[in-house]
Amino acid sequence: MISFELTEEQSLVRETVRKFAADELRPVARTTERGGACPRELRGRAAELGLGLLDVPEAQGGAGLGLLGAALVHEELAFGDAGLAIAILGPHAAPAALVELGTPEQAARLLDRLAAPQARGAIAWSESGPGLPLGGFRTTARRDGDDWILDGEKAFVVNGGVAECVVVFAQDAGTTGWSGAGAFVLDGRGEGATAGARCEWLGLEVVHAAPVRLAGVRVPGRDRLAGAGGFVVGAQRMFARIAIANAARQVGLARAAYESALAYTQDRVAFGKVVAHFQAVSFTLAELAMEVDAARWMVWRAAASFDAGAEGALLHAAQAAVQANDAAWRVADHGVQLLGGAGFVQDHLAEKRMRDTKTLALLGPSDQDHLVAASCALGLTEDAGAGLPISALQPVVT
Amino acid sequence: MVDFTLTDKQREVRALIHGFAATVLRPNALAFDRAHCVPDDFLMRLSMMARAFPSGGGDAELPSEYGGQGDSGAKPAAPKKGSQAQRFTLIGAEEMAWGDASILLCMPGPGLGGPPVRFMGTPEQRARFFGVFQTPGLHFGAYGLTEPGAGSDVSGIRTSCRKDGATWVLNGRKCYITNGARADWVVIFATVDPALGRAGQRAFVVERGTPGFSVGKIEEKMGLRASETAELVLEDCRVPEANLLGGEALYAGKEGFMGAMKTFDMTRPLVGVMAVGIARAAFEYTRDFVRENYLLARPLPRYAQLAAMVAEMGRLVDASRLLCWRAAWMADEGMPNAKEASMAKAYAARAAMRVCADAVQVLGAHGLEKHQLVEKWYRDIKVYDIFEGTAQIQRIVIAKRILREVPTW
Repeated sequence: MISFELTEEQSLVRETVRKFAADELRPVARTTERGGACPRELRGRAAELGLGLLDVPEAQGGAGLGLLGAALVHEELAFGDAGLAIAILGPHAAPAALVELGTPEQAARLLDRLAAPQARGAIAWSESGPGLPLGGFRTTARRDGDDWILDGEKAFVVNGGVAECVVVFAQDAGTTGWSGAGAFVLDGRGEGATAGARCEWLGLEVVHAAPVRLAGVRVPGRDRLAGAGGFVVGAQRMFARIAIANAARQVGLARAAYESALAYTQDRVAFGKVVAHFQAVSFTLAELAMEVDAARWMVWRAAASFDAGAEGALLHAAQAAVQANDAAWRVADHGVQLLGGAGFVQDHLAEKRMRDTKTLALLGPSDQDHLVAASCALGLTEDAGAGLPISALQPVVT
Repeated sequence: MVDFTLTDKQREVRALIHGFAATVLRPNALAFDRAHCVPDDFLMRLSMMARAFPSGGGDAELPSEYGGQGDSGAKPAAPKKGSQAQRFTLIGAEEMAWGDASILLCMPGPGLGGPPVRFMGTPEQRARFFGVFQTPGLHFGAYGLTEPGAGSDVSGIRTSCRKDGATWVLNGRKCYITNGARADWVVIFATVDPALGRAGQRAFVVERGTPGFSVGKIEEKMGLRASETAELVLEDCRVPEANLLGGEALYAGKEGFMGAMKTFDMTRPLVGVMAVGIARAAFEYTRDFVRENYLLARPLPRYAQLAAMVAEMGRLVDASRLLCWRAAWMADEGMPNAKEASMAKAYAARAAMRVCADAVQVLGAHGLEKHQLVEKWYRDIKVYDIFEGTAQIQRIVIAKRILREVPTW
């Protein structure tokens, strides 16, 4: 039955994370951004709060919140700060890859590497440079006895070079296209893996990311993830999880931008009148409130569909992502605009949000990837790799 | 628990109303649009068929205009907490609007006049005015608020009322009244003294045939042409005091006007979901058209642009529906939902405008052709941005409330 009511447990999780984000994230949003790193203690605090493997089932050592519970957490963390929302969760997107592409045995065994409080994970999907394939990867995986040998270079990898558990996407030697691709789990600091220079980006500057070079990295056969329903289906589901989490962050960021504009315009007086009472301003605020709500319900719906294993889950995830990206960009833009010059300078967080939202929009599949996925789900297009980011066209951050 | 699925009962009702919309409403939509009316015999058959619909189940009832047998005068004035009535109503209304929004507005029943009678009326008035819908024949209610000189600014109405013994004497003009000419009764808002503002306003049920009460012109419109939109004229119209909604006591405080406003919290999500129904119709039509007709063009880059536009239409429909459901869920739970009701209506109307415009765009010249429904949906949808509170009024309602809200921390 249609309901928007959270369970008691979900409400409790939300309140706890909201308070944490208010007390411990928002106050250090600017300083950690400038420092370009997330303090170890902050990641420790997140682990203490149980914010490790949010949507991984409890049986596999996760928090068992489901995607809906995880979405609540991501929204609240990003309400505090979008950059820290990503940086304090060490495992990052690796659990999504392990759960969706690994067998239950692989998932359980490899998730264990991410269970330690300071453990970090990564997924290395994108590649960079001219002449990349339109499906699949340039990075190769060559069989050597029971092992695989990986060679190539992955780009735009969050936690690249610092993660213990990296899921590297590569092409089985001698194959082309998505169907010949696979995922390989390795220690990102192990032999043969080296990180390039840290990525410097428009926003989310507290998040560590770097390219990862692989030169003859040996991966045991049992650490190759193939996906129960094949590589493409597993990868699509992995990105759906990533997209829902990210969309929830966009909602949190948008809510923060909206609320700060609401507070600022109610505080400021111009022409003898509270700025928020000018209709041009109050109408804008009303629009922003609507955008935030609409995006949140789309995220909740996608998460609920995914959790229930509903048929439309991938379509709903794509729709939620586009809705949230669109809403957050618009709200963040107005978040600057309504503050005027004060929005543009760094005394407020408004300008940061406008940079962060655009960066978030390229974390995981882009809007264009999602639209292809949606078009396919609606039967308008056929695309064997629908929804999978294509580095040759529009590389994304993972 | 958060849930976006329908109950078995809701699915069943939806399937039933959908089938009805697809086989009875949709095939007649174009012809009635051209004729600028829905024939009485059609409405007669329609109301017979609608009577066969189950009501929502449990304590939920679909108002009769949406295919149920609700609005029997015995109903309590305020919805019970935990009822599913609003959600049921929205599910049914979306399907009906998907079939045809004009015919939906022509469905016999109290229409928009229902909520004020339900919320402001005394038990005697509810029994009397809703009772008429239990008698054979076609019966309509209507809602008369807007005047030539006052629309969005409800407090600016000039239609006057003056007590004279046991009757009230009404003078003034009302315009853009849906089903105004055929209505058995119309809820008319008037003022004892414009200078008193809201405090001076009174709501009356004026019955057809009351001396001094007549129909002016019937409007010709851009869309929803089959729906009757009438001007009503009150010239020394004498209304018995028993027809003052809620009795004199209701107007002693602020309640009277607030009653008029409160009905919007119920009707706005409903109007929003009708926009969703039209938008969904346009989206589905476009999706199917593109699938079937643009098959050979699929490898072209140009095609991908169109496919993406269609995918976006689908997204806007879903986002709009969720906002409407949210407002309805709050109403069912007994939570104040004025802000959410306005959000649902404002967002859904604008999104639906975009969807209908893009439907024409994606279809190209086919979208302009009058033998298809796409151009009609484009004409029909615009008024959703206007009636039941314009886009601007919704933003005023939302803004007023958010400016009072406490921030998350």
